[in-house]
Amino acid sequence: MAVAGPGQLNVEEYPSWGSRSVDCFEKLEQIGEGTYGQVYMAREIRTGEIVALKKIRMDNEKEGFPITAIREIKILKKLHHENVIKLKEIVTSPGPETDEQGNQDGNKFKGGIYMVFEYMDHDLTGLADRPGLRFTVPQIKCYMKQLLTGLHYCHVNQVLHRDIKGSNLLIDNEGNLKLADFGLARSFSTDHTGNLTNRVITLWYRPPELLLGATKYGPAVDMWSVGCIFAELLNGKPILPGKNEPEQLNKIFELCGSPDELNWPGVSKMPWYNNFKPPRPMKRRIREVFRHFDRHALDLLDSMLTLNPEKRITAQDALVAEYFWNDPLPCDPKSLPKYESSHEFQTKKKRQQQRQNEETAKRQKLQHPQPHTRLPPIQHTGGQAHPSHWHGPNHPINNPQPPVSAGPSHHQYGRPRGPPGGPNRYPPSGNQSGGYNQNRGAQVGGYSGGPYPPQGRGPPYAGSGMPAPGQRGAASGYGVGPPNYSQSSQFGGSAGGRGPNPMGGNRNQQYGGWQQ
Amino acid sequence: MAANFWTSSHCKQLLDQEEVDVVPPLDKEKGITLEDFKHIKMHMANYIWKLAQHVKVRQRVVATAVTYMRRVYTRKSMTEYDPRLVAPTCLYLASKAEESTVQARLLVFYMKKLYTDEKYRNDRYEIKDILEMEMKILEALNYYLVVFHPYRALSQLLQDASLNDISMTQLTWGLLNDTYRMDLILVHAPHLIALACIYIASVLREKDTTAWFEELRVDMNVVKNISMEILDFYENHRMITDDRIIAALSKLNLKP
Repeated sequence: MAVAGPGQLNVEEYPSWGSRSVDCFEKLEQIGEGTYGQVYMAREIRTGEIVALKKIRMDNEKEGFPITAIREIKILKKLHHENVIKLKEIVTSPGPETDEQGNQDGNKFKGGIYMVFEYMDHDLTGLADRPGLRFTVPQIKCYMKQLLTGLHYCHVNQVLHRDIKGSNLLIDNEGNLKLADFGLARSFSTDHTGNLTNRVITLWYRPPELLLGATKYGPAVDMWSVGCIFAELLNGKPILPGKNEPEQLNKIFELCGSPDELNWPGVSKMPWYNNFKPPRPMKRRIREVFRHFDRHALDLLDSMLTLNPEKRITAQDALVAEYFWNDPLPCDPKSLPKYESSHEFQTKKKRQQQRQNEETAKRQKLQHPQPHTRLPPIQHTGGQAHPSHWHGPNHPINNPQPPVSAGPSHHQYGRPRGPPGGPNRYPPSGNQSGGYNQNRGAQVGGYSGGPYPPQGRGPPYAGSGMPAPGQRGAASGYGVGPPNYSQSSQFGGSAGGRGPNPMGGNRNQQYGGWQQ
Repeated sequence: MAANFWTSSHCKQLLDQEEVDVVPPLDKEKGITLEDFKHIKMHMANYIWKLAQHVKVRQRVVATAVTYMRRVYTRKSMTEYDPRLVAPTCLYLASKAEESTVQARLLVFYMKKLYTDEKYRNDRYEIKDILEMEMKILEALNYYLVVFHPYRALSQLLQDASLNDISMTQLTWGLLNDTYRMDLILVHAPHLIALACIYIASVLREKDTTAWFEELRVDMNVVKNISMEILDFYENHRMITDDRIIAALSKLNLKP
């Protein structure tokens, strides 16, 4: 601590190039599974500072250093924002041959490369899953605002995150929220008109355009995920827990209505539209299903869960939505309660343990109680929150199937679900969070090689060359904004009234306890 | 590349010419002169270019690979980092960083194919050597992989100067390609290199750009210095024969 204050690089002791050894750190415990390996909490021996170490797994790589890691490093080295996780440095370990044999010592790292991040106490899913914990509305607004601010910054810098979900949103005990795990992220840089893979984003948070096979897409994909998370925070559980891609689309259509040329021009030309289009038109039911949300929340959610990506709200516009400027206002992050550290990986483990115990206790029973339930945001003054209090209104509407199928969703990442469509076909999101990403090792060659045909090779040195001027340019709205853009200005204007939804109307009085 | 050059790691890593023109002690011991050092780097840039044509990657990848290679040799010696392996590995890494991945297998195939055409043979490097060197290069680069190139600035500037006809575009683009045979990209901001290419081309083609340059409010001394360097290079490069390069490489006494 003497060397570096919190959040500061202790530059003095670094070599001017090259990287330090991982031996500078002492491993404390595993806190997660990243895209390509484990994440550990560790202490820097010299300073005592607690950090997160993310291992870049190399063992199964035929093509050397994983391109996903290259993307993540490239992107993290260029993003500097209070709502984006900070990559402090990269350290290497000497490798197995110099380790004492067996690696039995749990405090030693095996050979490899580690990314060193600032340590964050929680992730959003881990926090939301804490038994008995409920978020307040100002707290949800505070998290949402930070999420959107961080994401807006990414989008301005032409980075798509492509894996927005609760377990990738890290929260520290100061109430700060940061986007993490850029293992699927990539820049949608302007001199690249090539196709992008549509096999990104954890299934439950994947937007309809990707499910319909789009290979040209933009920041709107992240905004869909944000909408899913927003609804999940207000709803207390994931809203679109599909088991496979067809079911995911079906759930989306049941909630958001079916797409047609009117609400989404061009949708019928999407690659997989004909495979997945519903037999009969479906009505959009967001406002009905979530009628217990307050009006501004519902307006915002409605604009995020817009089928047509062109019409979907941008992060910038979402930040000026009425929701954030009406009482109760988002709270100051610092005012939020401090919790004991909770990561999805850990809560998941605890729940698995708990579930095992329960199952052994009453194995014969078909239905055993949920080990815990997430609580809806609004304070109930009367009585303990019981699942039925808030499961009630949603199940019949949101899940026409018996709730059993949605039941395990509370342990969304806890229960391994086999890949439904054959190996590697659809990354299952329900698997141990690493599960989905484990496929990626195998994909690397496939999707990075294929979709990017060599473009406009330049001339040989002799100077006989011609550039292909056409392929650059198209700078789009995001231009080359300075990364340290001012946040304050964007909140200046008040939102132009969006979708006036007269009070009351179809709001469900019977659950009035938690509207606000 | 997205983001802003002025806040980038590339910008912060720009070096002075004196810092670039240092022969690493280990190489010096073997009798490598500064000239040898430059020649080998130039040769390796050409080699990366040739390989790139075979594995079919776009120009940006080549430019990034050459930049990586040149950055490596501001920090590492050729004795420890065999240029014949560093060059293809830089291309391999750049192809990933620029989203145009090339398989290591393919690269090794063309390495061997090319070597049979060359006078100094070395075909002992295999995939595993590339992968191993990749890690060492990543470390030598301190994982800074984003490189800004003058190409985009060049097209924008040509357009701004209304010089974006085919002839000027071709000429400046070719000049710019040739700048990668020097260390300019390590020393100067990309747009200044682009301006130098425009400056040379407009003199050659007798276009009057004086007024345009004046309006730009750039330091014309720097632009002219870069231009002189480029012209000097063209003056001298005919003297750089294969024999001289082989002689320089053999001083390194690398393993066969």
